[in-house]
Amino acid sequence: MKDRLLDEPFASGLVDGRVRVLVGVEQDVMSACRQARQLAETLRFSRTAAYHIATAASELAANLLIHAGGGLLQASALLNPTLDGETLGLELLAEDQGPGIADLALALTEGYSTGHGLGCGLPGVKRLMDEFGIESRPGVGTRIRAVKWL
Amino acid sequence: MTTLLQQLLREHRAELLADWLKSLHAPWEHPTPQDGTHHEPNQRLHALFEDILTALERPPSDRFELDALDPLAKHLRQLVADQARRGAGSSETIGLMLSLKRLISKRLIEQSPSDSSGDLLWLEQVFEQLTLLAFAAFLDIREHLITQQSLSLLELSTPVLRLWHRILLLPLVGVIDTGRARQITESLLEAIARHEARVTILDLTGVPVLDTSVAQHLMKTIDAARLLGTRVVMTGISPEGAQTLTKLGIRFADVISRATLRAGIAEALLMVGQRITSIEDGRP
Ligand SMILES: Nc1ncnc2c1ncn2[C@@H]1O[C@H](COP(=O)(O)OP(=O)(O)O)[C@@H](O)[C@H]1O
Ligand SMILES: [Mg+2]
Repeated sequence: MKDRLLDEPFASGLVDGRVRVLVGVEQDVMSACRQARQLAETLRFSRTAAYHIATAASELAANLLIHAGGGLLQASALLNPTLDGETLGLELLAEDQGPGIADLALALTEGYSTGHGLGCGLPGVKRLMDEFGIESRPGVGTRIRAVKWL
Repeated sequence: MTTLLQQLLREHRAELLADWLKSLHAPWEHPTPQDGTHHEPNQRLHALFEDILTALERPPSDRFELDALDPLAKHLRQLVADQARRGAGSSETIGLMLSLKRLISKRLIEQSPSDSSGDLLWLEQVFEQLTLLAFAAFLDIREHLITQQSLSLLELSTPVLRLWHRILLLPLVGVIDTGRARQITESLLEAIARHEARVTILDLTGVPVLDTSVAQHLMKTIDAARLLGTRVVMTGISPEGAQTLTKLGIRFADVISRATLRAGIAEALLMVGQRITSIEDGRP
């Protein structure tokens, strides 16, 4: 049996320009937010952009916790493969095996929430970041990717 | 061509591993035995051992270089991370590598005292790099752990201050989670009632990020405060914070907001019919 622990540098933490946070409790949401901001600052995003990224990370992580019963949030530097690894942007990736989202357009509507939230998270992330995409299959899970260019 | 070292590593692998594990005492023999994770450090050590031997088996060159993504570098960092979390010093990982180096060079010299110098130099090279890497990793991880710990300390208490007759100040510092939001609301409501406060200043200077959940908690606190007859002045929202709230589409309805605590205090005083003036200005 291959030892899985050895393949995962940390359960969470900043390693090689990448942050991985397994979101299972509320503390993890704060931690994801903090670490995404740290990564953004390391990559020399402006204060405002880093704040936007941190907030987007927080929204996505909170959704993992509240709507999907947990999941994995990753933040990673996007590097230019042709030039000498210059940083192009930062990617947020939220993946879960939760119930999925049946109606994406509805979920992205301002003020729509199936829980007790404000329903501003997803539309907010879309506005805070430069690129935004959702894949979701009801009963299988959801994968949300958002990018901010440097 | 096979070097003496390569040959030795191939032929005596099992003994080397056994000797090495035996040479590492105390911390590895008693790792948290109560939860049955006894074997885990050993698994890590096995993997590290294999990685180091693979590196040593490379054709010797003048410089040993290790890619940051090499499994060896990764495993070394994990080991250091484990030890740092247990509060162990950097000397532990480094000591454990030097012990392996000692075992290998001893065997090498025993086998061929005359022409092992090239191999010994290579051995030196490799372990020197590994030691540097372990030390750098240790520093990184310590720093990381320390920031996380000091941040959670910040998130502790929430004093409600009586700033003036009927004016309260609630300076929020740190992350606001559900538990803390409840505690903040409770102590604020209690203070409002006790001091018959007319105005409450909610200072957000110390709140790291305003997201929809923090905003929602604040809205609930504000609503509750209003029910007890106090007005709320929000202060200390940074320009980034304000912009983010706008992008999130969040508005705090009927709340007066001032950029600085100073402006907020002036506003609050005005609301209770007071004013701060300099002594000169106050003269008729
Ligand atoms: N990871 C997810 N899995 C399942 N449903 C989700 C997920 N993320 C968001 N949703 C759905 O999209 C809706 C809108 O999300 P959001 O805008 O963040 O608002 P809120 O979290 O306040 O409900 C949620 O109420 C939920 O129904
Ligand atoms: Mg949400």
